[in-house]
Amino acid sequence: MLSRSAIIGFGMYLPAKRIRAAEIAAHWRQDPLTVRKGLGIEEKTVPDRGEDSFTFACEAGRQAISLSGIQSSEISACFVGSESHPYAVKPTSGMVAAALTLHPFCHCADLEFACKAGTAAIQIIDAFVRSKQIRYGLAIGADTAQAKPGDALEYTAAAGAAAFLLGPENAKNALCRIDATLSFTTDTPDFWRPAGQQHPSHAGRFTGEPAYFRHVREALKGMLAIGKYEPKDIDHVVLHMPNAKFPARIAGEFGFTAEQMRLGLIVECIGNTYSACSPIGLAHVLQHAGKGDTILLVSYGSGAGSDAFLMTMLKNGVKLPADKRKPQYLTYAEYWQLARQRH
Amino acid sequence: MAIPDTAPIVYRTHRRLQHKMQAGTILSLTTIVHPPTGFGVKPRSVGLIRLDDGSRICGQLILPDPHADSRALIGCRVQPCLRLHRVNEQGLRIYDVAYDVLSGVRDADAPFPGYILALTGPSGVGKTTISEALTRIASQYAERVPIVTTRVPAASDNEEYVHVTDGEFHAMETAGKLAAITQIASTAEDRRYGYRSADIERIWQERKIPVVVTEMHLLQGLAARYGRRAILSCGLLPPGRSRRMMLSCLLHRLRTRGRDSAESIADRMKNAEGDLALLHSRGELFDHMIVNDDLDTVVSTLQGHMMELQKI
Amino acid sequence: MTADIFLAGAGQTAFGEHWDRGLRELMDEAVDRAIAASPCTALDIDFVIVANMLAEFANAQAHLGAMAASLLPHRPPAIRVEAACASGAVALHTACALLESGRCETVLVIGVEKMTDADPGVIATGLMGAADTERDVPVGMTFPGIFGMIALRYMHEYGLSREDLSLVSACHHDNAMENPFAQFHRRITREAVSGSTMVADPLRLLDCSPISDGAAACILSTKHRSPTRIAASQIATDTLSITERDCLTSFPATREAARRAWKEAGIRPEDISHIETHDCFSIAAVINLEDLGFAAPGKGIGLYKMANPPVTVNGSGGLKACGHPVAATGVKQICDTAKQLAASGNRYGLAHNFGGIAATSCIHILDHGNS
Repeated sequence: MLSRSAIIGFGMYLPAKRIRAAEIAAHWRQDPLTVRKGLGIEEKTVPDRGEDSFTFACEAGRQAISLSGIQSSEISACFVGSESHPYAVKPTSGMVAAALTLHPFCHCADLEFACKAGTAAIQIIDAFVRSKQIRYGLAIGADTAQAKPGDALEYTAAAGAAAFLLGPENAKNALCRIDATLSFTTDTPDFWRPAGQQHPSHAGRFTGEPAYFRHVREALKGMLAIGKYEPKDIDHVVLHMPNAKFPARIAGEFGFTAEQMRLGLIVECIGNTYSACSPIGLAHVLQHAGKGDTILLVSYGSGAGSDAFLMTMLKNGVKLPADKRKPQYLTYAEYWQLARQRH
Repeated sequence: MAIPDTAPIVYRTHRRLQHKMQAGTILSLTTIVHPPTGFGVKPRSVGLIRLDDGSRICGQLILPDPHADSRALIGCRVQPCLRLHRVNEQGLRIYDVAYDVLSGVRDADAPFPGYILALTGPSGVGKTTISEALTRIASQYAERVPIVTTRVPAASDNEEYVHVTDGEFHAMETAGKLAAITQIASTAEDRRYGYRSADIERIWQERKIPVVVTEMHLLQGLAARYGRRAILSCGLLPPGRSRRMMLSCLLHRLRTRGRDSAESIADRMKNAEGDLALLHSRGELFDHMIVNDDLDTVVSTLQGHMMELQKI
Repeated sequence: MTADIFLAGAGQTAFGEHWDRGLRELMDEAVDRAIAASPCTALDIDFVIVANMLAEFANAQAHLGAMAASLLPHRPPAIRVEAACASGAVALHTACALLESGRCETVLVIGVEKMTDADPGVIATGLMGAADTERDVPVGMTFPGIFGMIALRYMHEYGLSREDLSLVSACHHDNAMENPFAQFHRRITREAVSGSTMVADPLRLLDCSPISDGAAACILSTKHRSPTRIAASQIATDTLSITERDCLTSFPATREAARRAWKEAGIRPEDISHIETHDCFSIAAVINLEDLGFAAPGKGIGLYKMANPPVTVNGSGGLKACGHPVAATGVKQICDTAKQLAASGNRYGLAHNFGGIAATSCIHILDHGNS
């Protein structure tokens, strides 16, 4: 059997600006309580002028490299997953590799698979490390999600990034081993954005059972079977979080407790950061989990597919450095100004 | 006429971003009420910032409170953040580093530590020979820094290395006693290398310049630890007009010096190609590039550089 | 000086907004006045040096030497020199070198700038060519911004107050009331300066020299004598970018040029009666007086507070009240220093002209003792 890879460093980045769901609701004259009960989201992150998926990916990547203690020049692969790459043609991963001064002989490419592009990047880096084609590689999920004003997605479409630096499982600073991974894929038209169009379209209630629930359920079942685990054996569960309700329903189906879900459920105060969504949930778990804990991560990308991972903590979790900036809350007018000016 | 921002100019601008991603201290600042064309309409705060490596730059400031008294911000710490600056006419995105002002966090002036002479180059180029000769001839003001390594001692090693076990190395690393660390994979074993801060700092106390034989990762580590400005970094190249000729010269030297097995030579040659590429692409890590054609010439060139440092 | 170089004649246009005149007309007027004030005729001129900074950028016109030569019937050899705002003094320095070498006996120096044809935003970008395009410009810097940072740092190090700094422009405007060629003929109070619109914190509108059109011309000669001799002509340089300066509150190039100028002229600061110094921004005047040796570091504002200072500073009104057609300023400073010496009967005057953040700093000392 091929040796396995491990996460040796991780990082995340959230913009400092926020907007409360109540503020958006007030603007559209909707009842804020109904909105919050329906989606389970309090507030979301908003990118500042001049922030984009590339700047996010760099900040998260920088933090991951710093935590790992290795030199950036020792990293020889970088894959970035996003639905909002800055260019249609000119890879974010190449720009990140140059900005972070990775080794110039570096495997790079950009990925798109709606909200699961970040975890797809992790799978690719995992394979490169396991096959010993590289020693260290960087997988990043980053997004500045766009939502049409007035659409329900406006409450949840947020911005952020998470980065994972993978290396051999026997590396000195190995934090969390990736034991196994699988993916479940179909062609399901729940959410899409044609080239050149600014905002995505989605299929309303069709995004529920035939899309999110079916794929997450299949991937979850398959992953538990491969690992020969029962739901109660997992210490931490991280699921893709388009809102707070969907992961709660899956948890109910499989019997995951609130304690198992607690660390990874971060959507309430951040929103859905798309390709960074479940990765940011994982970053939270990696800070607080204990040595020996098992982690099950299942992402979901519209179109559609799910990636699932089984991981084991090799050490106690490592806290990320505290953010020295304070969150700034925007009015809807300020939020709309920023959205309008975004390149 | 607008500010020049064609693709080659953007390319050169982006190559400097890495250097600007450092924390720093505000030396002075201003708010330009009407920024020039292409910089938007809102007043723009800019500062003259001393970065932690000692260099200075002009950078955009992100003030937490736009009405704060500017004078009170002199001496405040800033942290870098990458930003899309603007998009040129052809849709090319121009990124720059802006600085978040951490008001309330002030700086006490950190004293400059001292200079280190770093010799970097591919295996077989002659780093060890040169550093031996240099520190022998210039022993009053130059001394070699031993490399701490977990690698098994070889018969040909002289006092270049300090050999420790994996456990000892790990202990030094955890205790923060190593100024720079790297791991070099090879077909035989995984070896770790580093320098002890105590070795470097003792040489400074004796008013001498530490000389290190190093490679890319260790060089980056030293620059991170002491500041890029503290390193007089010399890249050593084998003679040869083309890279192919340089590599064949290295191969010849490795074979002739008789220190390495055929396997080891193969390993080193593979690394050498990478090293030569890095010497070319990471020019900003080097102050001087020296071709090692004749030992005496190289040693006296290095002595010359070190005399310049002594004068400062 | 290895030869006696005399200021044979000098003249200038008024500085201001000249919608009816372009580069050629401005030069023509200044040259006419200079020749009329001299014992020379046009045909006595061996060589023409034009000082100009922005013509390629703002007027699409290079090759000003050729344009100026055609103003004279015999079209003598002509060149153009540039050193940002120090172009005028650098042109004078070049003329001195030609005269000392013996290649020429009479040189016409013209400083000219036509700034009002282009948009102010375009002019601001062009002026930033005096700083570092790679290190200073990309962040969105302007010259008021650079001097704003210098002023803030000066206030931080020496405790200079906003009210005191406002004295500088108020004084300069007072002086200009007597100068028919100045752009502004109105007094301004310290309060008006402190309360004018903010341009780049802490510099306000009335701290900044204006955009102006204008030309000034001098005839320097070893053959045609006059009461005024050039006793010293010195240039010194410093780093282009503010990021490479170790100190923001003093300009080493000015100190160096001054040191060499005292030596060349064989005099000391105490011997100077009139100074025309480069006040592109009010804070520059304060720093200049310290760098030139007329005040201790941090005490430059003192000269503006004295009722009877030992030297007159910017008796013409300086750049602020006269206007600052960039390359014309260095030449105009010579015109004004010579006028002040002739009127007062004192012997020595000093003109100080710099470019960028004193990346090029020039000193000329005039000796009016040759009557």
